[in-house]
Amino acid sequence: MFNGELHLTNLKAIKFKQMKKIITLLALTFVVNLTAQTQYEKGMTNAFQLWGAKKNAEASQLFERIANAEKNNWLPYYYAATVEIVSCFGLQDEVVLTARLKKAKKFLDKANALSKDNPEITINYALLNTAYIAFDGQKYGMTLSQENAALYAEALKLAPNNPRVIFSKAEWDMGSARFFGQSIAPYCKDVKRAIELAKKETVPYKFYPRFQFDRAQQTLKNCAK
Amino acid sequence: MKRILFYLLAICQLSLIAQTTISGKVTDKKGEPIMGANVYLDGTYDGASTDEKGMFSFTTSTKGQQTLIISFISFETFKKITDVKALRNLKIILREDVNTLDAVIINAGTLEAGDNAKVTALKPLDVVTTAGAMGDFVGALQTLPGTTTVADDGRLFVRGGDAEETQIFVDGLRVFTPYSPTAKNIPTRGRLSPFLFKGISFSTGGYSAEYGQALSSVLSLKSIDKPLEERTDLSFMTVGLGLGNTQIWKKNSLSLNASYINLAPYQAAFPDKNVWHKPYQGFGGEAVYRHQLKNDGLLKVYGALSYTDFDLTQEDINEPNGVRFALENRNLYINTSYKGFLAHNWSIETGVSFSNDKSDINIIDDLVEDTNNSAHFKVKLKKRINNRFKFILGSEYFITKFQENYIGKTNGNHKFTFNNNIVGYFAEADVFFSKKLAAKVGVRAERSELLNQFTLSPRLSLAYKTGKYAQMSLAYGQFYQNPKDAYLKFTTALKAENTSHAIANFQYVKDKQIFRAEAYYKKYNNLVKYNTFMPNPTANFSNEGSGYAKGLDVFWRDNRSFKNTDYWVSYSYLDSERDYKNYPTTATPSFASKHNASVVVKHFITNWKSQFGLSYNFASGRHYTNPNTNGFLNNKTKSYNAINASWAYLVSQQKILFVSVSNVLGIKNINGYQFSNQPNNNGVFESRAIVPSADRFFFVGFFWTISTDKNKNQLKNL
Repeated sequence: MFNGELHLTNLKAIKFKQMKKIITLLALTFVVNLTAQTQYEKGMTNAFQLWGAKKNAEASQLFERIANAEKNNWLPYYYAATVEIVSCFGLQDEVVLTARLKKAKKFLDKANALSKDNPEITINYALLNTAYIAFDGQKYGMTLSQENAALYAEALKLAPNNPRVIFSKAEWDMGSARFFGQSIAPYCKDVKRAIELAKKETVPYKFYPRFQFDRAQQTLKNCAK
Repeated sequence: MKRILFYLLAICQLSLIAQTTISGKVTDKKGEPIMGANVYLDGTYDGASTDEKGMFSFTTSTKGQQTLIISFISFETFKKITDVKALRNLKIILREDVNTLDAVIINAGTLEAGDNAKVTALKPLDVVTTAGAMGDFVGALQTLPGTTTVADDGRLFVRGGDAEETQIFVDGLRVFTPYSPTAKNIPTRGRLSPFLFKGISFSTGGYSAEYGQALSSVLSLKSIDKPLEERTDLSFMTVGLGLGNTQIWKKNSLSLNASYINLAPYQAAFPDKNVWHKPYQGFGGEAVYRHQLKNDGLLKVYGALSYTDFDLTQEDINEPNGVRFALENRNLYINTSYKGFLAHNWSIETGVSFSNDKSDINIIDDLVEDTNNSAHFKVKLKKRINNRFKFILGSEYFITKFQENYIGKTNGNHKFTFNNNIVGYFAEADVFFSKKLAAKVGVRAERSELLNQFTLSPRLSLAYKTGKYAQMSLAYGQFYQNPKDAYLKFTTALKAENTSHAIANFQYVKDKQIFRAEAYYKKYNNLVKYNTFMPNPTANFSNEGSGYAKGLDVFWRDNRSFKNTDYWVSYSYLDSERDYKNYPTTATPSFASKHNASVVVKHFITNWKSQFGLSYNFASGRHYTNPNTNGFLNNKTKSYNAINASWAYLVSQQKILFVSVSNVLGIKNINGYQFSNQPNNNGVFESRAIVPSADRFFFVGFFWTISTDKNKNQLKNL
């Protein structure tokens, strides 16, 4: 490991009792740390690129590897799960669907263990349920829609002004309204509000989940119809 | 500056030297390459995906002991801890994950309902939205293969077994009095509210060693672990009112349900063939308290109290004034269970159920007072060695205290009591040899204190996956059950009745379509016989009865072919004969009709916000004895037919209107015949057809849910 090697060199440096070298080494440590940092950034950037290029399996695997390297960071697990969940919508094979969603759930559980009461993770649990319901509403709808109602209530309690929470809940509400043949209009104002909040939002740290403006605008267009 | 450069270069060089290449090939156990597996060193960024030949290769600068991880969906994750230098030209075979949806399932004999099951014959909604089921979960189960329609009874009759051969369990604990009391020829209903359960497993034979004291069938219900929100439900029905409320706080929740049923208005509007002196009325109250413990353990306490009374006169060929029958029943049921996790992959399920049932029955001039106190204690330990090998161990104790006071006007007063205590032990292992082959092997031992008898029942199931969507299973088992209360109250010089089941099952599941065919042979031994018209204290009882049942059950469910339409078809062929009770010879009992079929269709029309349901039930004629001809149980009634319809209309997301009619066409069904005890002047025994008290039954209900989430409704309550 890099740190181990450095430690050794550090000891040698002390033996030489040369202040200058220690400073140099300190500088080096800093450089090495910087590379470690960039490795994370490089990895994440790479994974996002793969995802953007629709190489979902590769993206998810890279996120999984990063997650295993960055044992205390919830983001790679969160994205590994998100890629799997999103790629499940529209699947026709229940065997593949459940296998992927089970895997996604494991990632989410790990993210959740690292970052408790995180509304971003909470709404992804709801999205995971939605993937099941979208596949077979009769089979999964009854229990999971109840669970989703509870998850969204919890997420809103944790972060009442989080645009992703508001938008995700609005999408869910619209989905159930459509299922029951009702108007989606009451939820359009939530989408608008989410967009407004997202515009003002500052990203707390790098790779933090972003608001999907394109998707929200698309949903608003459906409202206008 | 030079020095810095030197060190930088040195380190660069060091890391260059330290690069190790890790390479190999990943295949499944047949040697087929696995493409796209994720191969990496744990805790590092070093890794790659396998190519189409299953090959991978990447470099790492790490040294010494490292953990290589290979993960791929539907396979067990591979881990290897070794020196990185050794990770070269590896040949790795991944083991299939046996926990996937396409893995073999040990399910001979069992039909599952609920969304946790891999293959669901009934979905959660079906339990209550099946036309003709009238919101009774037993009614919905009667559309599944293996069951026989016995329209005048309403209980579950499975594969040539009578209703008392089926036992019902909630969270693993016995329900001693699962059905509401009723009069002759009026079908009963299940006492348990279907809204309390998240899963139903209905086994028509060959079940686990965990269950005993059931000759034919086990119905195992799992109650909801955790209600998700606070809500209030109101129901206004043509037959009564209902009120429910759920409260949640911290790790606790409490649900209360109350219902009041009174058939007086209904019977005034639609008079039936009985003369009601006091129409049926029932009050039921239920409470469920759940507490989640710190260690993720779950404690559930369920309590139900119900009260029923009615008084009527029913037609009878031997009694010109009819038979007056009045009943008053009070039932208390408590079920407390705990589920928790222990160290080393052990888990525990334990609990107690208790029932106190008291009935006062008036038949003409006689009074019968029955009191039944029963309890069930159970401990079950589960150990998971790995995904492929799990086992359970357990012990249980049943206590039944029965007391009957008979106050007869002509026959004098009698008192009958007995204590029927049984201790049981069971052990069972689930073994997956591969994704294709699995076995369940178990044994159950029981000791009855009352009969002073020890029984040992082996149970075995095998399942083999024959294709991507198809599988075959076999099951065999021995089952014992103590004789009925109706006999034990007169004599205890009896042995347990016995059956053995042999089952062969074929199942094909693909894209929302299920096909299932199951053939079985069941042998009955040690059935109770007596030599009087009715069991009574003077009768000679013995265990010399025997019998058999064999048949074929077929099930087809399709939710794909027609848009917004879900339908299923069940057909059961049954050939069964017995020599038991006071039969002079071997014969087919009246409840065992040869052919039974059901068709259930549900169609959702989004624009009308409605779900329409239609069901058709068919049963071939039932056997009866005609004293005017020779022979025993050798005549048959005409076949039974009923078409039922239902309509659920969503007034808004929280208000639902539900209308249901059973036997829409008013087909005149005949359940059997009653003959006079004495022949008339012409030497002929006169007869009376036993027909349902009403041909049709109408039900209208309005259900309203009040909750914080306005999307919630009582659709599931239909």
